[in-house]
Amino acid sequence: MTPGAGPEDASLVRASLAGDREAFAVLVSRHAQSVLSLTTRMLGTADAEDVAQETFVSAYKALSRFQFSAKFSTWLYRIAVNKCHDALRARRGGMVSLDADDGEEIAWKALEDDAPRRHLERIELSWELDKGIQALPPLYRESFVLKHVEGLGYDEMSEILGINRDTLKMRVYKARTLLCRSLAHLEGARR
Amino acid sequence: MNHEQLAQRFVDQELSAEERIQFVVALGRDEALRERVLELERLMLGASRLARPAVPEGFVANVLRSSFAPGASEDDEQVRGPAVGASRNWVIERLWAPRALHWNLAGAAAAACLILLALSGGVAQALRWRAASAAASSNEPAAPPVVLVRLVMVQPGAKVVQAAGDFNGWNPSETPLQPTADGAWTVTLPLEPGRYEYQFVIDGEQWIGDPFAAEQSDDGFGSRNAVLDVRPPAEGLL
Repeated sequence: MTPGAGPEDASLVRASLAGDREAFAVLVSRHAQSVLSLTTRMLGTADAEDVAQETFVSAYKALSRFQFSAKFSTWLYRIAVNKCHDALRARRGGMVSLDADDGEEIAWKALEDDAPRRHLERIELSWELDKGIQALPPLYRESFVLKHVEGLGYDEMSEILGINRDTLKMRVYKARTLLCRSLAHLEGARR
Repeated sequence: MNHEQLAQRFVDQELSAEERIQFVVALGRDEALRERVLELERLMLGASRLARPAVPEGFVANVLRSSFAPGASEDDEQVRGPAVGASRNWVIERLWAPRALHWNLAGAAAAACLILLALSGGVAQALRWRAASAAASSNEPAAPPVVLVRLVMVQPGAKVVQAAGDFNGWNPSETPLQPTADGAWTVTLPLEPGRYEYQFVIDGEQWIGDPFAAEQSDDGFGSRNAVLDVRPPAEGLL
């Protein structure tokens, strides 16, 4: 999540707490895509938007408890991760399973800045990679998404997930190994 | 440290200067290792370039409408602590709450089916018994069956023994084993049926598989994971 132009997040949080509706709207606009990206990768497209909206609504209701020593984006990611866990539990009758998901397919918009051949290859890789990510066990999936899709460091991930760095590294290593295997399998099947 | 571990840490840019030298030398000699690093780098680049979903029109307005709706009150539930704690608490509550006891009582006949399976021959054994029969007689929705699995590790000289595996997201601090008088360490895990890979962690440093496990799997880091095949209670009955 990048702060972007305009007031700092902390100033916007203070203004929101003072009842400035527009300030909160700026916060939502600024972080919506990152939260939506996380929820989409964790849940697929079916619930992603609803869960992303619930994340912001919960954040607003709890804004008075935001610790200004922390990054707003880290706090928001934590709420989003908890919401994703709840949604996964609801799907599976109450438990965040370590089993692989059924693999919901996501149609992603094409990137528009490449030559046609590379463009097609990239779409294909993106589609397969997304499919592989969706098939990862949730604990590995969230670590991989935060690390490599959202681009966070292990320290911030540790703060969001409440898990030590070594364990997170192991989860990311595992996720990378599983994804490499699954992509190699798809590559082999295509030849 | 084996080459796979070095490769994983290399792509995370976490190698020390000495390790980098060791790794670059290995890269020059080992084509398979070069391929592996390329594979990881491509994966990470691909992930970083994944298209981000567009924010739907009306998203911000919907959030504001819900947030500023009359009667909206502070929501404690979702702004809880670290995500993993919530999940763990839920599992503990679900497994050990009165409802779980109700299942056990309702399935008293099944409780007589205490069975002992030597899952891994020597060092590690598993004691399974039927912890819950399906759905019992209540009107509650069917819960996943749970099998209690005991891991046993003989390690007389250890100060701390933990288990890490698919059952705890490879987080050894989640699953400490308790010492017994004869130098063995044990822990009992409530697991849903499925396939779990695991290793023991000795004194917080040494990760070891179980050489006597009935099944083992390459962990991708140059060592072997023990594989625990937890079957549904009905299949586990002898």
